[in-house]
Amino acid sequence: MNSLYRKKHELWLHIIFASFAINDEEIKSRLYEFSLIAFRHMKWLGADILRDGDDYNYDRDIKLYKRQSVFEVLRALMGEVNNTSALYPQSVLGKRMLTDDAYLLEYISQILQNEINDKEVTAFNMQRKWLDKNLAQEQIDALTMFLFEESYKEYELILVYAYMQARTDKVLEFSIFEDLIHESHFHLKSFGNMMAKMGILALPRELHAMTYVIKDLEKFVTDGIAEEEAAKEMCRELSDAIKDEELSKFFDFINYQESYHIELMKKLL
Amino acid sequence: MFENTKLPEGMNPETLEHLMDPKNYGKLENPSCVGVAVDEKTGEYVIFYTQLEGDTIQDARYATNGCQDTVVIGSMFSEMIIGNNIDYAQGAIKKMHEKLGVMSQQQQVCADIVFSGFIASMINYTHKQEGKEEEMHVLKMKESCEGENIHE
Repeated sequence: MNSLYRKKHELWLHIIFASFAINDEEIKSRLYEFSLIAFRHMKWLGADILRDGDDYNYDRDIKLYKRQSVFEVLRALMGEVNNTSALYPQSVLGKRMLTDDAYLLEYISQILQNEINDKEVTAFNMQRKWLDKNLAQEQIDALTMFLFEESYKEYELILVYAYMQARTDKVLEFSIFEDLIHESHFHLKSFGNMMAKMGILALPRELHAMTYVIKDLEKFVTDGIAEEEAAKEMCRELSDAIKDEELSKFFDFINYQESYHIELMKKLL
Repeated sequence: MFENTKLPEGMNPETLEHLMDPKNYGKLENPSCVGVAVDEKTGEYVIFYTQLEGDTIQDARYATNGCQDTVVIGSMFSEMIIGNNIDYAQGAIKKMHEKLGVMSQQQQVCADIVFSGFIASMINYTHKQEGKEEEMHVLKMKESCEGENIHE
């Protein structure tokens, strides 16, 4: 069961990063929806593992597909879906995951039938350019560091909150973790797509158990609030540095979201 | 990986490579020793796994919840010490300071937490050699990292 959980974690990442990598907005959007379904599969698998008195972790063994074309990305993704589906148990959840994956495979097959969909993938070209903006090199550097920092942090938060949500029997905590997970999904999506746009899409690094096995909730929340404050400051500094109205507005928007995360986290204390 | 890619001016390409694909990141299954350096103020840590054969560092891995500066320095430092002996690794800490040039105070703290993780693993090794039972050695950092960026 743990090996299946690990594969499902990897599959979630494969789907979401395929979504980030592909420029076509419709394919990107559909794959992102499938990635959220895969994340729910992870959550349900985790719940079954805990119910059976076992445990799971966030170990993974995954390399990002740095493919040159949409079809190459999608064909590689199909392989991962098939490999993971082969491990599903004979259970209600197993059947659910199987039918979800079958529909994803069907969707990908439809995309592959039309050559017009086989566009270039620019997410890994490392050009670090924002095509419709004239950003100075130091602004690009600042944005690069911000995206690496925050994409990892959002991935970390999604997994840490999910780990804690799965282990609480308090309705308020469950609800707050759920909101924070949703918020971090949105931020990861935003930053992942921005990294792809700049040609520097990369997987966030793996989480060590010391990061997500939380023994002191109060300290975790207190540290988390300090991190949110730091993220707000980074957004504010970046917003000032970028000097582009559209991007600055985006970072201000993220900044205010971080402010409300702090309010949500305070409710956990 | 980057042989055929022309990077634009700006951020050091080596830093970008370590950002995109940190080297030796993760854990070792059966390490000779394990060390942790922790910043109790922020909760930031570096855990360092070292595999020794005699005096030679056969393999090393590290993991952290810290900022990208910490990740990049851990990646560079682990690459420097693998295949070399313990004395070389101690000297590598000094070389790393030179390699990183003039760092801000915060970046210095990020570098120090990486080096302290390695030093903690060496202390763990010494303790094990002395017959002490210690799963890992933990060093607490005196100064706190507030996570500025490393790039040129």
